Amino acid sequence: MSDQTVTAPVPAASAASAKFRQFLGNRGATVGLVIVAVLVVTAAFAPWIAPYDPQMMGAGPRLTAPSFSHLFGTDEFGRDLFSRVVYGSRLTLMIAAIAVGIALAVGLTIGLIGGYAGGWIERIVMRLVDVVFSFTETLIALAAVAVLGPSLQNAMIAVGIATMPFYARICYATVLVEKNKPYFEASVAAGAGHFRIVLLHILPNILPTMVVVATLGVSTAILAAAGLSFLGLGAQPPSPEWGWMLSAGRDYFSRAPWMMIAPGVAIAATVLGFNLLGDGIREVLDPRQTARR
Amino acid sequence: MRRYLVQRIAAALLTVWVTTIAVAMLIHIVPGDPVQIMYAQSQGTTPEQLEEIRTRLGLNEPVWKQYAMFMGRILQGDFGQTIRGKQPVLDLLIGRLPNTLLLASVSLVIAAVIGIVFGFIAAYRRGTAVDTSLMIIALVGVSMPHFWLGLILLFVFAVNLAWLPVAGTDWRSLVLPAITLGVANAGIIARLTRSSMIDILDQDFVRTARAKGLKRGTILYRHVLLAGLIPVVTMLGLQFTYMLGGAIVVENVFAWNGIGRLAIQAIFQRDYPLIQGFILVFAVLVVTVSLLMDLLYAVLDPRVRLS
Amino acid sequence: MRKSLRRMATAALTATTAAVLVAPAFASDIIWARYGDSDTLDPHASTTTLSMQSWRQIYDTLLAFDENGAPRPNMAKSYEVSDDGMTVTFSLQDGLMCHDGTPFDSTDVKYTFDRALSDDSPSITKSAWGPISSVDAPDASTIVVKFDTPFGAFVPFMADPFSSMLCDTNEALGDAFGSTAAIGTGPWKLDEWVKGDRIVLSANPDYKNFGHPVENKGKPYSDRLIIRTVPEAQTRLAGLRTGELHIVEPPLEEVAAIKEDSSMDLHIAEATGQDVFFEFTISRPPFNDERVRQAIAHGVDVDMALDIAFQGLVQREKCPIAQGVFGNDQEFCAEHLASYDPEKAKALLAEAGYGPDNPVDVTMMTWTGGGRERMLQIFQNQLAQIGVKTNIEIMDIGTLNARVKQENEKTEGKSTFDMMGWSWYDPDILYQLWHSPGAYSGYNTPELDAMLEDMRSTVDPDARLEIVKQVNAYLLEKAIHVPLYTPGWMWLYVTAQDVDGFVIGAFDQPLLMDVKITD
Repeated sequence: MSDQTVTAPVPAASAASAKFRQFLGNRGATVGLVIVAVLVVTAAFAPWIAPYDPQMMGAGPRLTAPSFSHLFGTDEFGRDLFSRVVYGSRLTLMIAAIAVGIALAVGLTIGLIGGYAGGWIERIVMRLVDVVFSFTETLIALAAVAVLGPSLQNAMIAVGIATMPFYARICYATVLVEKNKPYFEASVAAGAGHFRIVLLHILPNILPTMVVVATLGVSTAILAAAGLSFLGLGAQPPSPEWGWMLSAGRDYFSRAPWMMIAPGVAIAATVLGFNLLGDGIREVLDPRQTARR
Repeated sequence: MRRYLVQRIAAALLTVWVTTIAVAMLIHIVPGDPVQIMYAQSQGTTPEQLEEIRTRLGLNEPVWKQYAMFMGRILQGDFGQTIRGKQPVLDLLIGRLPNTLLLASVSLVIAAVIGIVFGFIAAYRRGTAVDTSLMIIALVGVSMPHFWLGLILLFVFAVNLAWLPVAGTDWRSLVLPAITLGVANAGIIARLTRSSMIDILDQDFVRTARAKGLKRGTILYRHVLLAGLIPVVTMLGLQFTYMLGGAIVVENVFAWNGIGRLAIQAIFQRDYPLIQGFILVFAVLVVTVSLLMDLLYAVLDPRVRLS
Repeated sequence: MRKSLRRMATAALTATTAAVLVAPAFASDIIWARYGDSDTLDPHASTTTLSMQSWRQIYDTLLAFDENGAPRPNMAKSYEVSDDGMTVTFSLQDGLMCHDGTPFDSTDVKYTFDRALSDDSPSITKSAWGPISSVDAPDASTIVVKFDTPFGAFVPFMADPFSSMLCDTNEALGDAFGSTAAIGTGPWKLDEWVKGDRIVLSANPDYKNFGHPVENKGKPYSDRLIIRTVPEAQTRLAGLRTGELHIVEPPLEEVAAIKEDSSMDLHIAEATGQDVFFEFTISRPPFNDERVRQAIAHGVDVDMALDIAFQGLVQREKCPIAQGVFGNDQEFCAEHLASYDPEKAKALLAEAGYGPDNPVDVTMMTWTGGGRERMLQIFQNQLAQIGVKTNIEIMDIGTLNARVKQENEKTEGKSTFDMMGWSWYDPDILYQLWHSPGAYSGYNTPELDAMLEDMRSTVDPDARLEIVKQVNAYLLEKAIHVPLYTPGWMWLYVTAQDVDGFVIGAFDQPLLMDVKITD
């Protein structure tokens, strides 16, 4: 997986605009971009879009089917599900940002240390990352929640920790590539300090790649966090978090299937959007893949 | 080859060893007093009794000594007792392990069959509407939360239509969880198969074969399919460990009696000995699977044997 | 709640569908599905209702509860409490047999007591057995239990599954006891326990029922009892519809439809002894102030919440001990319990120094299942109206027990209160909860301790009733234990129409000796 992204060059300005046109030419990526844009707009303007307070009980009769006044129906307290899903988009974006942020920050640090330091530090650090990586996200996230205790905040941290090795490995590989470039030897020869080299030279060169990697990681993070909430290990009631809403709808499936369908479709659509977007970006940046189209 | 083997085995052992350290330390990083959590069920436990338990568990010893004690017990196969109900941890885990392995294996077969067929057709019909539709289906499969897909299948086929038993213990109760887990992972395999096949189709030997006028079926089968499958097979190993992770969630949706359901219960109940045992057993499982996959890869791909 | 048997056509259809789609177990198997499994088959190692219900099938008790929850002779054909309340003597029935074919006599009873009260691995309910000083078996059918101080709750305890009688042959099983093997004298023998999935029991041919309130006096009518774990409520109900399952706990939301459905019968457990209540962390502000606790009690409209969350399937409970337990007097308790009065609640908060600028902001906790997360969401809305901010945390019952204790021992941090549930057969529960140090290290005062000690050692029923009332009034007036509703968990059962003879004994203990699956 990593070999496709590590080779990503830093695009120069003119090349960048060409790439962007290429990106827009990819229908999947455009759809992805639209979905993500809709999500962001929904989250930003939730109070204007949602017709009701997401926590308001009795906004309509209990368990009513979707209709014009309640687009996604209502739940067991007569809360408007459309409003809850709309507000839930804020939580989803927050979860994505925080979990990916943690994973990126920690993964970047570890990858930089491992890649730059070399020698026994490299071996130990990267071996540990491999150990964590071998466990799959679900297990690491569960273990982290087991230690921290169930809550939305802890679920985000858990997902961050669980997905970190992915970022660390790619960062490590990217740093190794950078170390072979001429500027690196030049700055070492010029007697620059380690900190200076890492912060001023390596980091700016690998950041674009890492941002792309982060886009690819968003969907994993959203799915993992929703899974934790679904299991009751994340968001707590009355949060409009989608995974939790879906889980709360289970007991009503025969009478009110919309309680499970609305948040489920929301999760699937969001993840699909980020996946399409990520694929689009990757294809643009990875000429080998693009050639295959 | 031997060097490669030794390296892989050493890496596997290292992984397990690091895991034992993490697991042994787990009890020290949890918030709150672990002993109090463990004995919360007991009525009227006095502080003296708690202190006595702490001493018995070695929690007053230096950390390295606690680790030595922990390892001593683990190596003798003593994983302790659950807090809830004082059941032997290792027996519980081993009793459920076959169910998880069965679920993951059947799901892997489903995922591999769907994924390889989809990926192969898409690669062969590259650029056509068939390719696009198959890849869209694959991407939707990857994007769908498995617990949601599982619940919908459960409610539609077992609850509403009653086609399958809801609480059975035979193969019919394996159908829905295996499909759920399989479908959710088929998308990744399909995408990988497609790109791997395309790589091969573009390579010289296929062009040469075509130029030589070999029959299309022969080319596809002998050259493309087999060669293209090597990376897919490696991927399947990684997929299997992902299946094991995914099984944790799917087991809970379908009440499939595997270690995943046990693990979620243990986390809910903060049953630390059981959580520790679960992580260790899972570690050994994952490491064994990847080791086997590495070996298989070495056998399949001669380049590895040489390096 | 039972409806008469009718509409045979539906039954026949269900049965046919079942026969086609489901591999039928033996015709005389009873399949009972619950949301979770027993923790253990060792009656000294768990406190969950799920576990207790399974022990009830495998073991028997010296006494048995009648329909109303009063103890009466069972394995013990008689018992005698000495005038000073310091000695209780049991005389055993003749011909009692253990599942392994060995006779059950006073040495087995003594074995059970010794095991429960041992120093190195006592029963986790040891304190409920009372201040026992000695247990003797002077002859094969006599057991003499002596106490340090009189203990009024001992007699009913001998009817509770916590005091299940174990055969002394269990000793030889070592660690297997309670895990893969369990030897009792109850109506069902353990064949196999696949943990997390099913407990398979077969009818005990030697069983004699002396005291349980069912018709059958001997071997159970059905050949096997299989207790299944099926976590999803909707799937349990679907299994009942197809005939795959016979007895299930339904999803709350389906109860109205079930009542209308002639192919199944709804049973509601009575005299469960279950009491769901609020308790508060009193180690720090704001709940160290009685006025704030009172404000919460005045600020929740319990009747309305029950109506929305349960739609008449539970009852309002006004006493700290549940309906059906000795000393429960709704009218008396209502005089001392804070009623719904949001204005008064706001006034109390203002008096205690809280208001819009300085709101009470606390965590409200409960345990998973039973519609409780709905109750808390409604309470959260109601409390917001008196200016109290709450966030909800839902966790496993064992975790909650530990958490409440931890919170009471902490002196800083965001404060908490919780909706807790206990089920007990005697007001002695209040001693266990509120006598220092208490189950959760919660509220205690020397004054309350003295009252509770008095309650524990008073054996004369009239005198004891007076003290129980005093304790109830004290707990209510200081808003220490604010009762909400009863029953609280696992109180609904649905049986398929072809299931006959299902009885829920007192304290939510299903008795299955009479159950027949008719064709």
